[in-house]
Amino acid sequence: MESSYLIEARQLAYKINEVKLFSNFSFTLKAGEALHIKGSNGSGKTTLIRILCGITPATKGEILKKDDLVFTYLGHKNALKTYLSIRDNISLLGLSKNEDLKTLLTSLNLQNKLDVIIANLSFGQQKKVALLRIFLSNSDLILLDEPFVGLDSASHNLLCKFLESRLNNGAGLIYTSHISAGIASKDISID
Amino acid sequence: MLREILIIVIKKFIHQFASPKTYFYQVDRLYPWLLYISLFIYLFAIIWGLLFTPKDFVQGHSYRIIYFHVPASFVAQSLYAAMAISSAVFLIWRVKLAAYLARSIAPIGAMVTFIALVSGSIWGIPTWGTWWEWDARITSTLILFIMYLGLISLHNSFNNFDKADKLLAYLAIIGFIQIPIIKKSVDWWSSLHQPASITISDKPSIDPSMLYPLFMSMIGFAGLVACLVILSSKVQIYIREKNKSWVKDHV
Amino acid sequence: MKLLLPYTNEALKLIKKTRAWIGPILIFILIMVAFPLTVELSSTNLSDAFYPVLFISILLVMMLATEDIFLEDYEDGSLELLLISKKSLTQWVFIKIFIHWLFIGAPISLLGAFFNIGANNDLNSSLMLLPALGISTYIFLILFCFGNSLSLTKGSVLGTLITLPLTLPILVILGKLTSAIIFNINYFEFLILLFGILSIIIFAFPAIISRIIKTHLE
Repeated sequence: MESSYLIEARQLAYKINEVKLFSNFSFTLKAGEALHIKGSNGSGKTTLIRILCGITPATKGEILKKDDLVFTYLGHKNALKTYLSIRDNISLLGLSKNEDLKTLLTSLNLQNKLDVIIANLSFGQQKKVALLRIFLSNSDLILLDEPFVGLDSASHNLLCKFLESRLNNGAGLIYTSHISAGIASKDISID
Repeated sequence: MLREILIIVIKKFIHQFASPKTYFYQVDRLYPWLLYISLFIYLFAIIWGLLFTPKDFVQGHSYRIIYFHVPASFVAQSLYAAMAISSAVFLIWRVKLAAYLARSIAPIGAMVTFIALVSGSIWGIPTWGTWWEWDARITSTLILFIMYLGLISLHNSFNNFDKADKLLAYLAIIGFIQIPIIKKSVDWWSSLHQPASITISDKPSIDPSMLYPLFMSMIGFAGLVACLVILSSKVQIYIREKNKSWVKDHV
Repeated sequence: MKLLLPYTNEALKLIKKTRAWIGPILIFILIMVAFPLTVELSSTNLSDAFYPVLFISILLVMMLATEDIFLEDYEDGSLELLLISKKSLTQWVFIKIFIHWLFIGAPISLLGAFFNIGANNDLNSSLMLLPALGISTYIFLILFCFGNSLSLTKGSVLGTLITLPLTLPILVILGKLTSAIIFNINYFEFLILLFGILSIIIFAFPAIISRIIKTHLE
């Protein structure tokens, strides 16, 4: 294994109740690379990302990770407490002391809404708050499942710029998206 | 006796460790023998116990329901122990067959516990004057019955079988604590139930002429229930492995 | 201070969800206040019926307190995040149960002992009752959390029904404890028995619950 490889999957397969969802799925991801996982609805993209995170165990195959691989993940669920405000959620995530926080909140247009309860925000605004965690992380690998859904074009561009700069710094990215992302990435289909 | 059955159960797992398919065919061969031998032993014991044993000094003829009640009670607890062991095997070694077995024992266990409760009630009427009493052993056997039902409903409420198997296994293992509670409950607090007549160390306090048919009925009943468990496990294998080619060929 | 952080985090979450912690306490008070009213109507002796009503209402209120205890974190994705971050899920479960006991179980124990003074006019028995209540509320909380974790995705009713049989032996012990208090014999033995049960399950069950939650997340 070269020293710049981040994660490698070999012949992953997944079955639910003995029904095959996908099989023989393999890829290698090196530092600075982005992987776009494509597939029709229900083909197992979300399950695949969860397998790569380690939440779901694969039925067959193996995953090799770089030692001490740190990764961040954002899936369909936002991991935010809907009855708390943005400020409380940020402190629960341990991000309040981050120096980039203020500028980030301003560019996401959330700086005036810090005391608003999450449940009272729009879908797109909630997504932006969820993305805060990704923006403020410094991990080797970023896993995103449909990250662009609900974002306005300004935030979409912000996310793309952020991801590209992280890629240039040597992180890896694996994502699924129906919306075209505008990031240079390898494509792989799960069907 | 419980120990021997446990050892037999564990050995059975190690042999049929490999696949549901080998288990299925081996059990198919074993089944007729087990059925007829157990049936013979049980009927023999029942007839001996019902017709040829002397009247009890205190209870008269009504004690004879012991030949239904005690085997049922004993088997109900042993089945739970078997299910708990099966669940542990499943969780530790990921043997799918153990999960099938645990799932198939649950309804049989519920049925046998029900028989124990009802036969106990029937015995209670002439002996204690009441068909129900909230004493230690009856209540803990009732709890056992409810736990069996809980296990079945837990497994049935999940569509994803792998998840359901694991949850059933966890619940079965945690619930195992009630088996020693049932056994010791009669010793720990006063109740209508008599203390155990047959212990491992002391001389049995029951008359030998009644003891032998009792033992035989326990063995026979255990064998018959094992047949039921085998049938139930075959059904489980049909349901769970229905996409496999050997099942399709067999059916 | 940093070690206390997960505790304060969970405490903050629970406090903000006021209906989740004040609710059970209020219901307990309601039941205990309503009970003497019914005694007026029937001819039962107040102090005879007090202990059973106390224990059953504690059981019920603990059941209510654990309703959806893990569901919220499961549904909004916080559990997944916890799993990925390689932090100990067992520790999180332990903290969550402890905070719930601190905010719900402990006040109810105090209130129960307080009501005992009113019902039985006996300070001594209340003082003896207090640790027993504290320990048994914790045990009930742990058992119902276990049941809740089993039926995490299918609603809390199934889970609590399943674990209700496991709580009955504790009720039996509590019953014996009250006769020990009333006749002033063997009290410490039962207290130590309860404490022993708690000490085993207080660390074992969070580990089991975290395994069960992991199974649900798959």
